[in-house]
Amino acid sequence: MAVTRRALFERVLQGIGVGVVGGGLDRALADSQVETTGQASGPLTVRVSRPFDAETPVREFTSWLTSNERFFVRSHFGPPSAEAIQPETWRLTVKGLVKDELTLSLPELKKFEPVTITAVLQCSGNGRAHHRPKVPGVQWERGAAGNAQWTGVRLRDVLQRAGVKPQGLHVQLQGADRPALPTVPLFTRSIPIAKALHPDTLLAYEMNGRPLPLLHGAPLRVITPGWMAESCMKWLTEITLRADETPGYYMQQAYRIPETSIQPGSGLPGSVMVPVEQMPVKSLIAAPAEGDTLRIGPVTIQGVAWAGESPITKVEVSCDDGKTWAPARLVGEEQPYAWRHWQYLWNARQVGPTAILCRATDAQGTQQPEKSPWNPGGFLWNGWDRLSVTVAA
Amino acid sequence: MRGVTEGVRRERGRWSPLVAGLVLLLGIAAVTAAQEDDKHTIEPAQARRAVTLIHARCAVCHTTDLIVQQRLPPDRWQVTVEKMMHWGADLSKDEADALLQFVTARYHPGATDHLPSIEEELAMTAPAGGPSPASDGPLVGVSARGAEIFARNCQACHGEGAMGGAGPKLARNKILKNEGAFWETVLHGRGPMPAWGSVLSHQEIADIHAWLASR
Ligand code: HEC
Ligand code: HEC
Repeated sequence: MAVTRRALFERVLQGIGVGVVGGGLDRALADSQVETTGQASGPLTVRVSRPFDAETPVREFTSWLTSNERFFVRSHFGPPSAEAIQPETWRLTVKGLVKDELTLSLPELKKFEPVTITAVLQCSGNGRAHHRPKVPGVQWERGAAGNAQWTGVRLRDVLQRAGVKPQGLHVQLQGADRPALPTVPLFTRSIPIAKALHPDTLLAYEMNGRPLPLLHGAPLRVITPGWMAESCMKWLTEITLRADETPGYYMQQAYRIPETSIQPGSGLPGSVMVPVEQMPVKSLIAAPAEGDTLRIGPVTIQGVAWAGESPITKVEVSCDDGKTWAPARLVGEEQPYAWRHWQYLWNARQVGPTAILCRATDAQGTQQPEKSPWNPGGFLWNGWDRLSVTVAA
Repeated sequence: MRGVTEGVRRERGRWSPLVAGLVLLLGIAAVTAAQEDDKHTIEPAQARRAVTLIHARCAVCHTTDLIVQQRLPPDRWQVTVEKMMHWGADLSKDEADALLQFVTARYHPGATDHLPSIEEELAMTAPAGGPSPASDGPLVGVSARGAEIFARNCQACHGEGAMGGAGPKLARNKILKNEGAFWETVLHGRGPMPAWGSVLSHQEIADIHAWLASR
């Protein structure tokens, strides 16, 4: 017991870059968190200590790739027991509506053609804290998102080896993580077969060129580029082909939004609820920071913008709290599914407090709204990003 | 019998309710200046009971920071707590009502952003110093009672039969022979291990110890 707990603990440390030695998994996390809850003092801003939910301070987004140590962590139940994901005994099974069930070890899986894709991962609840009226759930602000390089094999190649039967329209994903009590529903999700067979949908075992860290799903996680992260199942162990969407809480109640907009504050909407899938167009300001005092004169405003499966075509910035807008320059790498860096050079001339805003537009012409449509789960926030700053002489 | 209500009753008998009440009132006044509205005031004894319940019954599956960060109207609190009970949060009807009253009064949509953690709330409402095991004189644990108290309060983390789970195996754990370390850990907690000093009475902890030692 002691050995496996220690091993697990060390892998967690690799994952989040916490420099603590001794104690257990939760303890290491708790030590690094108690004081940092809700504050951006460590590498991550902790929202929940156990299971571990922590967001990236947005200043990190000045880097195109978000490092593994600084990448946001969302856990439904936290990492599975070390035994469940031990490299020697870990297996991926593919079953259900397939011609041949598969059981693959990691070396067997790595024999499929490797693929690397850079993609944004974002928690559906990112920005939940901005919804009004407020809604229950982890109160994420801006940083439950990141851009990383994912290396793995195509889910399509694995499914083709198993042979999907014609009735197999949904691909159910199950990880090895388990709730503290068996009365809590498992975190089980499904994605439609079309997304599963998309050549860019991966089973990833590397993140930014390094083995997938424990907190990010080691040894294997799903990557559905352009889609919200709850489809990106961590600690993946089972893939089940089914005729229908997965039943249960985490697919049928959580991570759903009303199909048509509803009255803010209404409890359970009468309208049909559909699963959260694509990421809507969104941009964030990475620098300057909220509350900064800026010197009068030129100020570089920079940030990121992304729109799921669609490229970003425009980012606009307002330095007078939304009265006037000017286009920012799109800079750096441009890759499908990755975020795009942008910059705007502002000549700050008027002393006093002001607000800096940004909004993006994608190739379909969809513009980031001032406020996102309210929904009871507080998902998909993509309202204009806004910073309060003060210009000083 | 529920360990928590039992524990609270004993504690109230131990220190002057007036002193405890004043400490709590000052604490609340200091941190929630925004709550002038009458409907948001909470009786100190009620608050203490609710905070103790949250600490003991809610932290089984997730830390209480997830609770303290919510700012919800009463109907959404009610749905949330019912969902938790459905999933396994162990609360009687009466306890659920007490907890709901507290969370709707404290974590409402108009409350300030930063409110004290449940651990801080517990500390604010606890008497200075706190009782020590020695002050109660020698306690004789009753193993038969300990089994049930363990099942209700510890089993979720330490597993059925104390064979281990999220927390270490306690059956035949050598800490059982080191009573000082055992009491220290159970009374004050350690890392993710909650502190039970304000939740369970010393008799109840002694009962758990007796039951564990008999395994
Ligand atoms: C049996 C396990 C369990 C217990 C005990 C428990 N919770 Fe939860 N709680 C959960 C799970 C699971 C979630 C959902 C986490 C997620 O979304 O991944 C949750 C989420 C929450 C949330 C966020 C809102 C939401 O609906 O997701 C709040 C608030 C909450 N719990 C409050 C409480 C309170 C108050 C108690 C004590 C009465 C409690 N919990 C006890 C399992 C539990
Ligand atoms: C929320 C989960 C949780 C609950 C509930 C819980 N514990 Fe623990 N306990 C832990 C964890 C985790 C540790 C390991 C702490 C560490 O790594 O420092 C622990 C450690 C301990 C230890 C020290 C063991 C050792 O080997 O040093 C004792 C004794 C103990 N718990 C007793 C109890 C008792 C008695 C109860 C019920 C009254 C209880 N625990 C309830 C999580 C829990």
